[in-house]
Amino acid sequence: MVLKIFFPRCCNMADSGLLVGRWIPGHDSAVVLAVIHYPFIPGHVKKYLSELRSQIQVDLTVLGSWSLSKDGQKEMDGFLKDLSTIFPHSRWLQLSREPGKKGFACEVVRKNGHAPPSGEEDKIIFVHYDQRKVMLSQLHPIHENGADVESSELRAVFHTVSQSEPLFLLDKYDDGPLKLTHWQSDGREASIIVELIKQVSVPVCILLTSLVCWWKWLWSFRVLNIWPVPFISSKLSTCVQAGYRTDHFQTVFSTRKATTHMDFMKKANMFVSFFVDIALGLLLISWLYRENRISQLANTLVPAADHVAKELQELLEWLMGAPAGLKMNRALDEVLGRFFLYHIHLWISYIRLMSPFIEMILWYVGLSACLGLTFALSVLSDIVALLTFHIYCFYVYGARLYCLKIYGLSSLWRLFRGKKWNVLRQRVDSCSYDLDQLFLGTLLFTILLFLLPTTALYYLVFTLLRLVVVMFQGLIHLSVDFINSFPLFAMGLRICRPYRLSEGVKFCVLHEEPGAPLHLLMEINPLQCSSVLQCYRTETSGCSSRDSWLALCKKLFVGELIYPWRQKTTKTD
Amino acid sequence: MGQRKRVNVQSPVPCPSETQPFSPHTHSSTEIPHHTHAFNTSGHHGYLQSGKHSICMVSDFFYPNMGGVESHIYQLSQCLIEKGHKVVIATHAYGERRGVRYLNNGLKVYYLPLQVMYNQSTATTCFHSLPLLRCVFVRERITVVHAHSSFSAMAHDALFHAKTMGLNTVFTDHSLFGFADLSSVLTNKLLTVSLCDTNHIVCVSYTSKENTVLRAALNPDIVSVIPNAVDPTDFTPDPSCRDSSKITIVVVSRLVYRKGIDLLGGIIPELCAKHPDLCFLIGGEGPKRLVLEEVREKYQLHDRVRLLGALDHKDVRDVLVQGHIFLNTSLTEAFCMAIVEGASCGLQVVSTRVGGIPEVLPDELVTLCEPTVSSLCVGLEKVIARQRAGKVPSPAAIHRQVQTLYTWRNVAERTEKVYDHACRQPVLPLPARLRRLRSHCGAVAGSIFSFVAVINFLFLLFLQWLFPNHLIDVAVDASGPGGRWGRGFGKEESKDPIVARCAVEDTRRLKC
Amino acid sequence: MGADSDAGASPAVPWRKVLYERQPFPDNYVDRRFLEELRRNIRVRRYSYWAVVRETGLVSQQLSCVALFLTLWSYMEQGNVGPLTLLWTGLGCSVLGYTLYEALGGGIDRERTRCADLQSAAVFMAFTFGFSPVLKTLTESVSTDTVYAMSAGMLIAHLASFPYTQPSLPGSLSLNAALFASVCLASRLPGTLHTFAMLSCALLVFALWPCLLQRLRHTAEWTFPWAAGMVCVCGVVGVGTLWPAGALLLFLALVILTLVCPLLLVRLQRHKDNIHGPWDEAEISDDLSRFLS
Repeated sequence: MVLKIFFPRCCNMADSGLLVGRWIPGHDSAVVLAVIHYPFIPGHVKKYLSELRSQIQVDLTVLGSWSLSKDGQKEMDGFLKDLSTIFPHSRWLQLSREPGKKGFACEVVRKNGHAPPSGEEDKIIFVHYDQRKVMLSQLHPIHENGADVESSELRAVFHTVSQSEPLFLLDKYDDGPLKLTHWQSDGREASIIVELIKQVSVPVCILLTSLVCWWKWLWSFRVLNIWPVPFISSKLSTCVQAGYRTDHFQTVFSTRKATTHMDFMKKANMFVSFFVDIALGLLLISWLYRENRISQLANTLVPAADHVAKELQELLEWLMGAPAGLKMNRALDEVLGRFFLYHIHLWISYIRLMSPFIEMILWYVGLSACLGLTFALSVLSDIVALLTFHIYCFYVYGARLYCLKIYGLSSLWRLFRGKKWNVLRQRVDSCSYDLDQLFLGTLLFTILLFLLPTTALYYLVFTLLRLVVVMFQGLIHLSVDFINSFPLFAMGLRICRPYRLSEGVKFCVLHEEPGAPLHLLMEINPLQCSSVLQCYRTETSGCSSRDSWLALCKKLFVGELIYPWRQKTTKTD
Repeated sequence: MGQRKRVNVQSPVPCPSETQPFSPHTHSSTEIPHHTHAFNTSGHHGYLQSGKHSICMVSDFFYPNMGGVESHIYQLSQCLIEKGHKVVIATHAYGERRGVRYLNNGLKVYYLPLQVMYNQSTATTCFHSLPLLRCVFVRERITVVHAHSSFSAMAHDALFHAKTMGLNTVFTDHSLFGFADLSSVLTNKLLTVSLCDTNHIVCVSYTSKENTVLRAALNPDIVSVIPNAVDPTDFTPDPSCRDSSKITIVVVSRLVYRKGIDLLGGIIPELCAKHPDLCFLIGGEGPKRLVLEEVREKYQLHDRVRLLGALDHKDVRDVLVQGHIFLNTSLTEAFCMAIVEGASCGLQVVSTRVGGIPEVLPDELVTLCEPTVSSLCVGLEKVIARQRAGKVPSPAAIHRQVQTLYTWRNVAERTEKVYDHACRQPVLPLPARLRRLRSHCGAVAGSIFSFVAVINFLFLLFLQWLFPNHLIDVAVDASGPGGRWGRGFGKEESKDPIVARCAVEDTRRLKC
Repeated sequence: MGADSDAGASPAVPWRKVLYERQPFPDNYVDRRFLEELRRNIRVRRYSYWAVVRETGLVSQQLSCVALFLTLWSYMEQGNVGPLTLLWTGLGCSVLGYTLYEALGGGIDRERTRCADLQSAAVFMAFTFGFSPVLKTLTESVSTDTVYAMSAGMLIAHLASFPYTQPSLPGSLSLNAALFASVCLASRLPGTLHTFAMLSCALLVFALWPCLLQRLRHTAEWTFPWAAGMVCVCGVVGVGTLWPAGALLLFLALVILTLVCPLLLVRLQRHKDNIHGPWDEAEISDDLSRFLS
């Protein structure tokens, strides 16, 4: 068997004394947390330990003795043996180090007082660890409930060290009855400031939370929940974004303390991303409202919309001829073309009507950027959606017509082959049709088949236009989602304090010598950046479910309507 | 402070390649690597001197697929290991199950990464599997290659490569084929090519032997008949599970055309109309389930015809013991394991007289009928009348009679003789092999496959130049003489709970 | 059972073809009775030449029907036959055929009432007439070659999928293919009325005539060869008036179909060598559909 002793590096050169720590249950290993120096009164030690035990819920004990032998301390041996009778335990470690040597000597004394027979002698491995890093680091993957903590040895070690934080608060300059060596914080003052800020933040939080409550209450009015309002607000990305931000706001400024690590990280991530978002938004405003940029924008927007309408008109006229040499059904082509031209006509007059007010609208809308860059982007996305409404209409008409044709053709093709779709069994059955059914079916099938290319062309052209718009909107949604969900705080932690988020450990051999215990140095493996992203990303519905490309192509082929990502998820809900 | 030799705990502990697929992710840094090469003094000839063989079973069909061939391979391998032979199994990868796995008693299974084409059978090009199979044959020091099932492309490939490498070959045919249609003409030609220089062939029944001899144009002397077997301890009768107030007819089979499910669809309404206390218990799944469902709907027999759906092999016994009569309506069958299982559970067996079925059970245990609805109904009614009159032997008596008929030990003994016989025969060198192909398989196919054989031989030479045989690591024997299973190697491995659990779980699923 | 080596010993008990008994023979023992259940050619049917010829008559007449339809179409396209002529002729033929059909089917129970027949006829007329302007413009922009190719493909599909064996109405696929082809062809004609006439004609030739022919075969079998022969002659003559070489080709095709192919079938039967045995998959001889219908 191998006995593993986790030994803090800061105690390497500590004066002789008692080892305080914990035996890991279920494993053959011990964690040393601190050294209590001579002289001490055993009663004080026991009292101190029992106090600590009740405070931190970890089974702290005296593990053994530590002696950094100066000259002429050989007579200590007897004394050390006596100590083991004062602090009884099933095993008693006697570590000793001589100044010139690299390694420690270790002796394990069983309860009955004498060393075990040489045949069964345990092999001992010293694992040196950095107490501060281990205390602060969070081992991944995270198991939040404590039940699982004991399962793995490494996890138990990390748990023990991080729970023993109150032990490390004892300053070495304190005038207590006991003198300890362990890791000690250097920046007492900083932590006092942090405490103060925490105290101050509480009333601020209460204030903000009540504001959010009031805002939510405003939204819960009945008037706002009758039919068209929820529908429209679910389609407008600005409203959706407002909903997200309200939720985030509520989470961050809730007065409830974050108990678990994940809660804390979540709050911190949200807070940082919120902060960054608003900073970017303000930057945008400072750029936008200088040098009359708003009116410039308005002056280019109206002609641009006009131009798009003109281009569309030309496109339709081209389609009504013989586009790309394709032979289309003249009559149907004419009908469809006129129908769409009339729509464009309507659209142009709408734009003309709007043009005097554009600048004012832009000016007010631009103010929304002070709520954050994401708001500005969402508003932009909505404006694009409104300005390309005619394209959307065309697309919907084309898709519906095409979908109808495809549907009709597929069922008539089954009739053509003498089959039918059995709805109950969800499969194709053979079926004997009457003569007149066959005749009518074939007639319709032929007509639909020959008209399909015309419809398909219109559908194709308008779908391409729609895809361009959807792609643009999707890009905006992606960037908004990115700002919303990117774990900025966790990423910063990973870059500046890599040991805080750990993913296992690695060992380096410090000292190896036959006959003496092996010395290993435990170093913390930082969590990979991709895992950080995966673990701490704030969940938003936009990114959570995205259809595969294949599904999208299939939808396009059968003529189902496609939407930018966010709307689609609300639709599937 | 000291030299810095890094040991990364997160990376798997370096272990012998055998255990690679199992390698559990542990945190403890104290895992000491297993010793890799310590034994293996017995070389290629050690097996022949000791009278033991080193056998590689090759088939596309193995666990986690379930069926007759799969359990045949598993049980036969176990009994051969018990007799002191070394057995390894090669099959293709099933999903995530790839690499090397161990089953009970050190039965090593190679799941080779070959592409599955259709119906769990791999694609064949005659060449692409050579590097992998050669590696297996060389590192396991195989002396006999035993291929199973004529549906398995991998089995035929392995035969071809083994002959190129000069190994003795044995083939077991588990199925019957007709001669009438185009597809069977083609497959029969391929079988002729594959078997014309195979040392010995095993068939599961006399009918199967006649069929194989005709299909592959073989000399009947090199074809042995060794029936399948059934583990009688898995199929014990339990009359208390029966409902004595009615008579239950049990059918357990895949619901496909070849199993005669259409006949069953005719029998059910006929008999249910005549006997109001009759009910049917049907286990299995397949495309013909629809027929049964339609019959059930049309004749309003929902309370009397129960369709259980797909059954796990371990549940089959529990279904069988609920019935009085076991019905098998197969249209073709080489050796019907199902009726032996049914009889072993103490049921009266009614079956169609097709394929090798008449050879399987003595007349007092089975009622044979023609494959028509009327004949089957007559046969069933006879048995029902006997059952009503109480003139049937008790389930325990039937079980006692059946349990001695077919045992895997017996199968293994007879297979062992086949191996002895095959190993005494020479493996044809390339010129003789080419002559044989040309003379035996017709001018066209013979020439084509002679060419393929030459290419295969050249490919083997190329591989031997690229990775010489002596550079291929010799594997640690888990079974056979000098097998390490249960002696150090195996023990050490089973110390690891995950590995042990895996192995036990695999075995349990396979046995059941 | 025994080892391979003791094959030389001759045991007293005879070998039995059973697996459940351990017999004193080696596993690879080959008995005298090996392959005794092998049968050859047990299911070969002897065909009489004239019976086969009679059956192939159906194929020939269907081919001639297609030829006849194509002839009518080219007459229409060239303007040699007016649509009204065709319509009146068609009406006459259908009234005649319907009377004959009714006369022959006197003994059979009628599933359809005459009212339903009339209703069907009205539906045909109304929809064909209503759609013919649409149909007329349907293939306007499609090139003529494409239309011809499509029609040819569909007519071949019609011939290939026509249910020659079972005595029934024309199968869905064959009828639909023929109608599709006739719609394509009809849309190439010069006028709306032409289209209407052509479609009615297609209905007669492809849908109603097979029904009548089937009734003929069913009740008055002696008339069937005459009817088929008459259609063949009509077809050949019809094509001959437009394209004599085509008529010759059609004639040759009909001769090969009706006379040479059956001869080949009967002759080649002799060379059949089929192996049968207990390993064959049993065939289900019962008619199982009765349990489900």
